[in-house]
Amino acid sequence: MASRTNHIDQHVGELLSGYIDGELTQQERQRVDIHCESCAECHQLREELRNIRRDVGDARLSEIGEDNWREMMNDRTVQATRGIGWLLLIGGFLAVAGIGIYEFLTDPSVGLTEKLLVAVIYGGFTALFVSVLRQRLIERKSDKYKDVEI
Amino acid sequence: MQQKLAQLGGGAHALATQILGNADDAADAVQDAFTTVLSAPDSYDASKGPLRPWFMRVVRNRCLDMLRRRRPGEDSTELVRDPGPGPEQSLGKEQRSSVIRHAISVLPADKREIIVLRDYMDLSYAEIAEVLGIATGTVMSRLHRARLALKEALEIDGK
Repeated sequence: MASRTNHIDQHVGELLSGYIDGELTQQERQRVDIHCESCAECHQLREELRNIRRDVGDARLSEIGEDNWREMMNDRTVQATRGIGWLLLIGGFLAVAGIGIYEFLTDPSVGLTEKLLVAVIYGGFTALFVSVLRQRLIERKSDKYKDVEI
Repeated sequence: MQQKLAQLGGGAHALATQILGNADDAADAVQDAFTTVLSAPDSYDASKGPLRPWFMRVVRNRCLDMLRRRRPGEDSTELVRDPGPGPEQSLGKEQRSSVIRHAISVLPADKREIIVLRDYMDLSYAEIAEVLGIATGTVMSRLHRARLALKEALEIDGK
């Protein structure tokens, strides 16, 4: 605050932006007004910034209209069904894999060696899966955006 | 809620474009934000403030999340440069709009987003502080630096 109320002869700097945005106190506005009366440089800068602000406000920075956003929001059904689809696919796969493993392990025609080899391969897959899952969970824990309120 | 969010779509897309540097990714980010908010509408508490800065914060955080997930090779927030007005473009508002878009596109991402929040979306300093997660007292100086940079970019374009 002290730097914002320095000697009157100094340029008013960022206060010019606060001025054109209507974010200054009455005292600060007066200070800018008095300064700009005697400082052509700040007076000109204030006008230039005001024009730039107006031009940015008038510019078209997004090509997507309100109707398009409304349509996109209606596509939520598609996204929801996609989530359900993934859930069913993974669930079904796990169920089939579980039945297959059970059948394989209880099949008397398959030798112990084959069963052990297949168990090693599946054990490897499981270890990799758990490792990746653990890493993801750790990343999620240390995620600086995890507290984002939505 | 859906109607209000649709009205915020344009501003949210402009903000996301400035952060992600790409209009298509920005549209995905805004759509993700819509989906998240609409699937948990109770997450917005009207007693804590207006919807607009709250939603912009959701969009911004979604953009930051997308940036974080980008692979190192594509880790660029450099905005796809607007080509500026073409020789065939008519004089007037659209040409000025194109000049502004081009000048904004050469600024760093942090300057682009604060300019969009204030000058394009007309958020107050307190609301900008809420969206960016910074102290209200620092908004003015940061915005002023961004505007000076934009002014310089416009002057370079004008030469």
